Amino acid sequence: MKRPLLGQFEAPRNGSHWLGPIQRLPQPMRRFPEGETVDYVIVGVGAGGGVLSQRLSRAGFRVIGFDAGPFWDSERDWVSDEAGSHPLYWEELRITGGQHPLAFGANNSGRGVGGSTVHWAAFTPRLHPSDFRLRSQDGVAVDWPISYADIKRYYELMELEMPVSGPAWFPWGDPHGYAYGPHPMGGVGDILIKGCTKLGIRVSAGGPVGILEGSHGDRPHCIYRGFCIQGCKVGAKASTLITHVPDAIRNGAEIRPNCMVSRIHLGADRRVTGVSYFDPNGKERFQKARAVIVSGYSIETPRLLFNSACPGFENGLANSSDCVGRYLMAQAGNVVLGRFDELIRMYKAPPAHCMTEEFYETDPKRDFVRGFAIQSVGPLPIAFAKQMMKAKGAWGWGMRRIGMDYNHWASIAVLGELLPNAENRVQLSEVKDALGLPVAKVTFNLYDNDQKLIAFARKKTEEVMWAAGAKEVVQEARYAHLVGAARMGDDPETSVVDRYGRTHDIANLFICDGSIMPTQGSANPGLTIQALAARTADYLISQGEAIFSSNKRDMTPPPVRRELAPPETWGKGAPRLK
Amino acid sequence: MNIRKPDGRPIEPMRQPGYYPGYSTLSQQKFWDAKTREVVLARVSNVPPIRFFSADQARTMEVICAHIIPQDDRDPAYRIPILPGIDDRLWNKRHDGYRFEDMPDDGEAFRLGLRAIDEIAQHLHGALFVDIGWREQDLILESLHHGKPAAGHEIWQRMNVSRFWLMLVQDCVEVYYAHPWAWDEIGYGGPAYPRAYMRLEGGLPEPWEVDEQRYDWLAPEDTVSDKYELVAGEESHYGSPGQGGTH
Repeated sequence: MKRPLLGQFEAPRNGSHWLGPIQRLPQPMRRFPEGETVDYVIVGVGAGGGVLSQRLSRAGFRVIGFDAGPFWDSERDWVSDEAGSHPLYWEELRITGGQHPLAFGANNSGRGVGGSTVHWAAFTPRLHPSDFRLRSQDGVAVDWPISYADIKRYYELMELEMPVSGPAWFPWGDPHGYAYGPHPMGGVGDILIKGCTKLGIRVSAGGPVGILEGSHGDRPHCIYRGFCIQGCKVGAKASTLITHVPDAIRNGAEIRPNCMVSRIHLGADRRVTGVSYFDPNGKERFQKARAVIVSGYSIETPRLLFNSACPGFENGLANSSDCVGRYLMAQAGNVVLGRFDELIRMYKAPPAHCMTEEFYETDPKRDFVRGFAIQSVGPLPIAFAKQMMKAKGAWGWGMRRIGMDYNHWASIAVLGELLPNAENRVQLSEVKDALGLPVAKVTFNLYDNDQKLIAFARKKTEEVMWAAGAKEVVQEARYAHLVGAARMGDDPETSVVDRYGRTHDIANLFICDGSIMPTQGSANPGLTIQALAARTADYLISQGEAIFSSNKRDMTPPPVRRELAPPETWGKGAPRLK
Repeated sequence: MNIRKPDGRPIEPMRQPGYYPGYSTLSQQKFWDAKTREVVLARVSNVPPIRFFSADQARTMEVICAHIIPQDDRDPAYRIPILPGIDDRLWNKRHDGYRFEDMPDDGEAFRLGLRAIDEIAQHLHGALFVDIGWREQDLILESLHHGKPAAGHEIWQRMNVSRFWLMLVQDCVEVYYAHPWAWDEIGYGGPAYPRAYMRLEGGLPEPWEVDEQRYDWLAPEDTVSDKYELVAGEESHYGSPGQGGTH
């Protein structure tokens, strides 16, 4: 087999920049001359920044997207290999503490164009309508300043723009169906279905997941190789690197990779003037902009605001509320592993292909509020060994023995809602990175509702594993995802940004990433972050020049601009949403 | 000391232990993409030199690695080098993206941990760790696993013993299970782009994979590691080492 249908056995010879085996980066990319003022600087080209740069450039704005990491060439840079995928993760130093500290790096932080969407597993459930009303409904945390209805059309858009594969009927939250068909099952999904079915729990098979089940434009379908978290060389898994950034470049956006933004500058009129950044050679430069959007995610976004402290904002830029860095959240991500007599081979198929949200909502019969999902996961050998180190205390010959049993294990995981708390927060540490910038220090504790939810969710997930026929069941306590630390709200005293992502303090400074979420639900955040970005983009486009010149806040809701979706995405598929 | 059959007779070291005889991921390398091939083959053939640890530290670390990932069942020519991978990470200051506030820098943690391990050996046996018996070494490492070291308390006050132990074990497994010989041992399919997996259900092998052929074995008599007890007796090591993310 010398010439496979899709993909290449040998290294690409020509100078194309590959985004999967077929798609190539549009060339040449626009370069704004040094000294030129652009309309928007976007800091971080991940889930939020990728969609924003696409929308804003398509609408005709002059946009530069900065990313601290590389502009990935999937054929030349990525590998089908766990240990070789460290460059995809943000592994720069962060200090972590508190009673129940968070882990970073591979767990939740991306680096390079595409950000965490390069290494997400790509589960794409929506939030439920109840997720926007925790204060009203459950008496905890806060309500969002927007409702599910405000974001629903953007969910529909993003589900077609990635696009998302899933069942024709997804029964939870606001029930809906997916235009693109579900994936075939893998061994782990079979286990989750079997366990849930025995217990009378409804379960969604084959998605929703942002991975192609059939080919789409210049992207091939999934080949079930199981390396989603190591970057999808196939080009089947959606990342903004391949779904939105190419269209941004076609529309005249510049992406500036390997450039770490170090400070946002404030002018005398309390409006931002641009950003300082370290270019790939480590030289500090200044880029002028008429507005700045920070899309650095829940650790780097507050870190940049703190590092941009200046007279008038001694505690961090746009931080008059003292909310920057606070209300940081992670989701409970306890992994439950079961050993089966038969072989499973859980390295095959995307880790994300089967889930249930049957326990998502508050149940008055329980002693805690809110809930959780149960999802398939598929740890590869190194991740599996690390899990067994904690779940069973394996080391030495015990580790070798459990390793030899790898193919008999299946793993499913809790995705549980932890509530925001002001003391779960990002601050600056005394320690500095290689560029001389103070690194983030993170404090995280679990509180009463969190602990009760985790105990219940873990037990329920273990019941599912036993019901599927496991002969041994163990679990590892861990977290998944990050959101919060620059939350949105209507009250400038208790939130950092308004309902469109504009900072309350500075009229031409915006935040658009997971950090603006006031609460998190039990849904993987990637879809919501992208939907919020498309909504912020529509607002910015509606406001036009006013963003650059006026401090007045027009809160009129913008129309949904479906025509700005990347070509060949909106209006395709059935149900044909109009 | 080698592993044994259930009746106690020794099992001779093998080129490829595990339950998948004849299975070889490397034999499939022409079906991998070029970059993956380059990275995996370099791992096998270009073992990095020891640069971070001193000669004495490296001698101690070699022994520790041989306890955490024992390979006596492997033919000596097919043992997977563990220490060079750990040394390379520390030499290049490759963090996993974070450091616990109650831990020193990773490199400093290793140097302190090695000193504390020798202090325990001196305290219990009046000799350096490398100079005591295998079982005694195993028991000292087990005391770290339990979070109850017998000595080195001045160091353990500066550094959480369980976090150090988890980092040590994590670093060893990260090197071992990154090696294609370990993939063959556990029957893991390895790289599959651009060729794909096709048999997703029922644990069925791809045409190039082999089915499982189990054999029973006992760990060597002089070890205490072939059992499962939670680290420091706890289930909730939140934030302990990152694991390549699962979701």
